[in-house]
Amino acid sequence: MFLHDLIFRLRTLLRRPAAENELDDELRFHLQRETEKYVKSGMSEAEAARRARLEFGGLDSVKDECREARGVSLVETLGQDLHYSARTLIHSPGFTACVVLTLALGIGANTAIFTVVNEVLLNPLPYANPQELLAARPNDSLPNLEDIQRQTKSFVSSGGVNIEPMDFTGHGEPVRVHGAYVDAGLFVTLGVQPMLGRWISAEEDVKGGPRNVVVSYAFWRDFLGADANVLGRTIRLSDNSYTVIGVMPRDFTLPQQLADVFVSLWVADPSAAAERDVHFMHTYWRLKPGVPLAQAQAEMAQADRRLAEAFPDSERERATLVLPLHDWLVGDVRPALLVLFGAVGLVLLIACANFAMLLMARAVARQRELMIRAALGARNGRLIRQRLTESTLLALAGGAAGLLAAKAGITVLLALKPEALRHFNAISMDARVFIFVFAISALTGLLIGVRPAWSASRGDIGEVLRENARTTTTGISPSPLRSFLVTAELALALMLLAGAGLLIKGFLRLRSVDPGFNPANVVTMYLQLPETRYPKIPLQTNFRRELLARINAFPGVQAAMISDLPLGGNYVGHRVVIDGQATPAVGAEAEVQTLSVTGDYFGVMQIPIRGGRDFGAMDREGQPLVAIVNETFVRQLLPGQNPIGARIDWARTNEPHQWMTVVGVAGDVKHSGLNQPVDPAVYAPFSQNDEAWRRFMTLVIRTRVPLAGVVEDVKKQVWSLDSQIPVSSIQSMDDLLAVSVAQERFNMLLLGSFAALAVALAGVGIYGMVAYRVNQRTHEIGVYMALGAQHRDVLRLVMKDGMKLGVLGIGLGLAGALALTRVMVSLLFEVKPTDPTTLIGVALLLAAVAMLACYIPARRALSIHPMTALRHE
Amino acid sequence: MPSRSIDLPQGTLDLLILRTLSLEPLHGWAVSERIQQISSDVLCVQQGSLYPALHRLERRGWIKARWGTSENNRKAKFYELTKAGRRQLEIEQDAWQKLTAAVSQILETA
Repeated sequence: MFLHDLIFRLRTLLRRPAAENELDDELRFHLQRETEKYVKSGMSEAEAARRARLEFGGLDSVKDECREARGVSLVETLGQDLHYSARTLIHSPGFTACVVLTLALGIGANTAIFTVVNEVLLNPLPYANPQELLAARPNDSLPNLEDIQRQTKSFVSSGGVNIEPMDFTGHGEPVRVHGAYVDAGLFVTLGVQPMLGRWISAEEDVKGGPRNVVVSYAFWRDFLGADANVLGRTIRLSDNSYTVIGVMPRDFTLPQQLADVFVSLWVADPSAAAERDVHFMHTYWRLKPGVPLAQAQAEMAQADRRLAEAFPDSERERATLVLPLHDWLVGDVRPALLVLFGAVGLVLLIACANFAMLLMARAVARQRELMIRAALGARNGRLIRQRLTESTLLALAGGAAGLLAAKAGITVLLALKPEALRHFNAISMDARVFIFVFAISALTGLLIGVRPAWSASRGDIGEVLRENARTTTTGISPSPLRSFLVTAELALALMLLAGAGLLIKGFLRLRSVDPGFNPANVVTMYLQLPETRYPKIPLQTNFRRELLARINAFPGVQAAMISDLPLGGNYVGHRVVIDGQATPAVGAEAEVQTLSVTGDYFGVMQIPIRGGRDFGAMDREGQPLVAIVNETFVRQLLPGQNPIGARIDWARTNEPHQWMTVVGVAGDVKHSGLNQPVDPAVYAPFSQNDEAWRRFMTLVIRTRVPLAGVVEDVKKQVWSLDSQIPVSSIQSMDDLLAVSVAQERFNMLLLGSFAALAVALAGVGIYGMVAYRVNQRTHEIGVYMALGAQHRDVLRLVMKDGMKLGVLGIGLGLAGALALTRVMVSLLFEVKPTDPTTLIGVALLLAAVAMLACYIPARRALSIHPMTALRHE
Repeated sequence: MPSRSIDLPQGTLDLLILRTLSLEPLHGWAVSERIQQISSDVLCVQQGSLYPALHRLERRGWIKARWGTSENNRKAKFYELTKAGRRQLEIEQDAWQKLTAAVSQILETA
């Protein structure tokens, strides 16, 4: 019944012209038949036609009634309302622009953030059945992975991957690419098919298997010319030939890292693959459908215990944690995004409050017009509908403008995008975002429009006339709704301002943290020596010494090498034992950062030597083994002891100790990030190293000449020594420092701009209210001044209301801020969420803005000339 | 003539149309003629009000319309009763009879 009705109306609507013709035909037929009837009874043709029309009644009104009966009229009046609204809005461009701009800012900011939230928190990961995917922490080794997979029943499959740099040669300049060392299970687990060719099979994923490689879409496009016949081609990777057997799809990325080429770890590095006790693989697990996470975790714990019993030396402290991959990936960004999302929600609320106030002001201004229309017989419902049409139209226009604003906003967001969002490449507006925008704008229009529409339609014409006659006495106090809106705006703005203030303070604290070195004028470059040509330490040492000597020969340049750069995100961790101290149980020794250096590293980085001496030319192979430790090492591991002369070594199980003598103490360096604690660290010369696998190094070059020229010169020197070595990760220490705080900067900039937006909107809101009141009270002010009131009295009169609301709003906002900023704890660095200076500061700032917003219209009140005001009536 | 005729009580036009169409499909003019003839010109159906009623009944799904050829060979829009319309007719007839019976009982006895 209802469905029939709807379909009928729709059909009628869709075939409007045809339906109109049919109606004409039908009625014409009736009139003709009626005329014929009268002609038959003896009337003249003309008389008969006249009579038929008379009997029929007003043709047009019948047609109207028919249309109404067919249900067309609802849509038609909507069309009229739209037309009418559009016309009145175009006729008041100032009002329309104000509203559209206000809403565009509010909705735009919301849309931009929602787009990111949508992509990062709501959209599923681009893998088959992503809800079944788990990530395991910490990393593990392939033999353990295989054992666990065999011993458990909760998982369909597992896969491991480790990213290491690989040298891609034979294609112009040697390039360092991201090599993913994987097992065959990885892509089964992720459930992704190559775009071309196939994945590495389990049979091939064994020691001595064929050297096959699957390449990423980007690698295929940039280095293999997007060749459709690429399968079977061989490429040189780290001095070995690999056959291309597959190309991954364009939108594929590993869950965490970027990778250009995928090779089997068992094939590419069988000795590393076989090592049980070096846990360097990121591992992923696919749950069997329906298996609860808790059960998988329990099985994992059992497997851990079995491994610990079987291999007590290396696997004693296993505590593998599995968690949903999506949670794991967004873990760090989730709180920040949710805070930002909440913040833009507040901005939207403020924008809506302004919208409501603008509508109310307009409704009052147009009250007479509406009254007259009502008196002329317009139905109440129709009037309300018209006002709602107008507010919804405005909101939708605001939404459309907001989409444009959001598009610009997303571009900015992506430019600022912190590392944590890097894997969510394809942040773009999708249908869900459009629905979101449409929904919030339509809702805004309807909800905000209802109140003014209703109150306007309820107005009593007599009251309006009275009001017009006696402007002086109306509104001794502003309307309660308007007061509420202004107060709420100020309170919300204060909460945002408090959040932003806290983030800014935290960020400034973070930036003022001493990294322990001087980042200015230092450029860094990463090099890795290929294993095939530099298998032994002496060969590596020769290369390092020769390169450093050549670079240090440049004028104005001072260079050294370190294995892992501070803030670079990496270090080698070794367990350490100290001669003369009780030896802890195997596996329970303290772990320290192990850093190798060549040349005057501390001098170049300007890391102070706090005690003892720096390394010198005599600290080389064949000489007594030496080490420099950092202050944290001394504090934690050599408390109350003179560190100089202490002997330390790595924990070794089956070989005699090779004690290193501590010769110096270096200042602490924030290796893992400015907001991270400093770990104990041991520096030792590369040349005295006994680990040939550490073939990598980062050049640190302090220069007084422009960086760009130095970089080119250094590359030339590297390639004159070995033309097959890529030079990569070229960046200044300043940039590295900036990148390390990018997430904090991102949070701060966004919340800061939202707060600025909120303050501006709230300022406009309070300004609008006071200006409106001044307008209303022109006459009263004129009389007041005519009676001899001073400027000060007039200012006090006008600003009193605004400031009262200001104080109330700020007070409520402070209370709200105290309650809400708690959710930001994890985003703040060394700042309490209730930091009193910040809260007082933002309260004063907002009070100043509110005062200014009241003062500007109050100034105008001062310029009122008593005579003009009195004549105003 | 106008002095003899009665204005139709509210809501009864639908009933009359449904009843008229229950015998055979008719076009609008024929419906109006039929009602006037059968009621011996006692009931005065304003011809213009017939069409909105027909369109309303069509929207409700009680009658449906199709174009056909009239008795004098012209294109005309014929209305016929649907199943739902037939049910509706029974309901309304029933209600009407109860109403008139009750009203006349009151008129006779009170």
